[in-house]
Amino acid sequence: MPDPRVSKLAKVLVHYSLGLQAGQKLVIKTHPLADELNLAVYEEAIRAGAFVTILPRTPGAQEIFYKYASDAQLDFFSPLDKLITETFDAFLTIWCDHNTRSLSGIDPSRMARVSRAGTQDFKTFLDRMAKKELHWCGTAFPTNAMAQEADMCLADCQEFVYAAGLLNEQDPVACWEKIGQEQKKIVERFKGHNQVALKGSNIDLKMSIKDRVFESCAGEENFPDGEIFTGPQEDSVEGWVRFRYPALFNGQEITDIELWFENGRGVKETATKNQDLLTAQLNTDAGARYLGEFGIGTNYGITRFTKEMLFDEKMGGTIHLAVGAGLPETGSKNESGIHWDMLCDMHDAGIEVDGELFYKNGKFTIQDHPGK
Amino acid sequence: MPDPRVTKLAKIMVHYSLALKPGQQVVIRTHPLAEELTLAVYEQAIMAGAHVTLQNAVPGTDEIFFKYASDAQLDYVSPIRKLITENFDASLSIWTEHNTRSLSGVDPQRMARVSRAGAKLGQLFMERSAKKELRWCLTVYPNQAMAQEADMCLSDYREFVYGAGLLNDEDPVASWKRVGLEQQKSVDWLKGRNQVQLKGSNIDLKMSIKERVFIPCDGQVNFPDGEIFTGPVEDSVEGWVRFKYPAIEYGQEVTDIQLWFEKGRVVKESASKNQELLTSQLNSDAGARYLGEFGIGTNYGITRFTKNMLFDEKMGGTIHLAAGAGYPESGSKNESGIHWDMLCDMNDAEIHVDGDLFYKNGKPVV
Repeated sequence: MPDPRVSKLAKVLVHYSLGLQAGQKLVIKTHPLADELNLAVYEEAIRAGAFVTILPRTPGAQEIFYKYASDAQLDFFSPLDKLITETFDAFLTIWCDHNTRSLSGIDPSRMARVSRAGTQDFKTFLDRMAKKELHWCGTAFPTNAMAQEADMCLADCQEFVYAAGLLNEQDPVACWEKIGQEQKKIVERFKGHNQVALKGSNIDLKMSIKDRVFESCAGEENFPDGEIFTGPQEDSVEGWVRFRYPALFNGQEITDIELWFENGRGVKETATKNQDLLTAQLNTDAGARYLGEFGIGTNYGITRFTKEMLFDEKMGGTIHLAVGAGLPETGSKNESGIHWDMLCDMHDAGIEVDGELFYKNGKFTIQDHPGK
Repeated sequence: MPDPRVTKLAKIMVHYSLALKPGQQVVIRTHPLAEELTLAVYEQAIMAGAHVTLQNAVPGTDEIFFKYASDAQLDYVSPIRKLITENFDASLSIWTEHNTRSLSGVDPQRMARVSRAGAKLGQLFMERSAKKELRWCLTVYPNQAMAQEADMCLSDYREFVYGAGLLNDEDPVASWKRVGLEQQKSVDWLKGRNQVQLKGSNIDLKMSIKERVFIPCDGQVNFPDGEIFTGPVEDSVEGWVRFKYPAIEYGQEVTDIQLWFEKGRVVKESASKNQELLTSQLNSDAGARYLGEFGIGTNYGITRFTKNMLFDEKMGGTIHLAAGAGYPESGSKNESGIHWDMLCDMNDAEIHVDGDLFYKNGKPVV
């Protein structure tokens, strides 16, 4: 018998997050180390009457690919992935790693080339998701590699993951629905507003959210969850931001990233470690130097940085900015082969919206909000 | 560093069996327990410039599927499988099992239903293979479950597997090419002949091979290899055969199978264990009661039965008959969702072709 939280999680993912119906086509992208969760989800999905394709990675294959692939192989986009993106109804990504740093030795320009090859597919995916033609959810399964990255032992990491998912609660879905309702109140307050100004020791940034929509995230597309986000007006972002938390991209750590924006474009970037990877990713394509997302973490149950963005970007007291593709449902028009979230500490910062203080020192100051 | 035979095997798979070229699309169907071979083959294929799709089994999902799937789910054919069958240039299956008997409790009717659903794609696969549009190869990666099935310890089983593949030879490909030349002698002798008669304590069977082609197998489609086979004229098979070796389908063992043929069709079948599975497989579809293949094992290096058909059917001193789909390149016209090989011991039997003695007591005499 698996950890009872795993069985619970499988049910939540299949019935709540994905809302899977009989006859729908589901793909599960996973890893053999997540077999406990893989089998639990597979069973729920089969019993729900779905047509299930399960695609586990082969640990070690990615390393070989990046080491030996020719340009033609780097540029190739699998017709299988295309078929899945264009026709499947539900996607579950289970993030799980055997070694979070196994791609450390790879030339960043080769990774950017692979991102570029996937641009059209990524756009199709985001468009279909915005139109609700497909449901996607990303979740994480704890392993020693993940625990190691987070400076934890495996048992503590498991507790962290399942607690963040509220899986120790009697009825996790009811809890997530309640969080969703609270977040919707904040989203309502943003509606119709234009100018956002973020100011603190790590940030001095302005952007417009005119005609853009804030989405409330309560476990449907990410699990665990807890954020609201939008896509800023592409050419409106001005100013500077420093991401004190290191950003991870394909297992390479980039520390102390600073970005400068003019007319929405990242015109200058620095980092103390792996700056060439940062630059290569920002040069992937035309959209990679523009913001596709501005998100605010609302999960105050996540109290530590684990270097796993699924959790980190939800942390109460942080915001995240993603360079690259935006989500069409927010109104974002930015297209790119990348979507790279970076995390900014807001504990000494404020957010003003059309001159009104909405957020101060890591918490919302408006009524009926999480964290107050 | 992996077992050097694994590295050798990977090179043979990619360069000899599949002969991969840059830009070709290849799928590797494998199992997490075969990771050593999977990664070695993947590396060779990437270095050869191919576009590689890895499909890994998730141990335990088949059991869940057969336990809970609705009829609609049993009948479903994945569009991913369709896309691969229709478009890919090469397919490698690495056969590894975590438990060879894990499907023992499954209702045979449900398995037959899945076989039926896949019939059309199975047929297309064979047609594209016959036209050389698609190259495929099946091999085995040894593990504990398979060693257990064969009554062996893992290290002995490993030696058995790599020994059968001639992977201890300096140049295994040269050895396999020699095997191919040797088999060609029998194939040449059989060319243009018609009536085959098999007679021994386990068999009394007649069939026609008129205008059918015998194919020598030297490690390109199966690895290890060692057989020649054809597809008999569908309505010509008459007589009786007993398969002393157990037949295994979906991990269920069917023992002491006997079949009676009239005008090519199996009109009666019996087995001492799991007869129900035998009957439901033969009832899968119209072609399942006809023979799609008649093969003769030529690998006298395989000296023991291991309950794995990849090896067993190659054993010198045996023939195998497959109920269901035939290979179009042999001239067979039989179509079916199943292709089930059964193994007959020929150590006390003779084969006459158009009245001439071809094979006696387990060996060709020509």
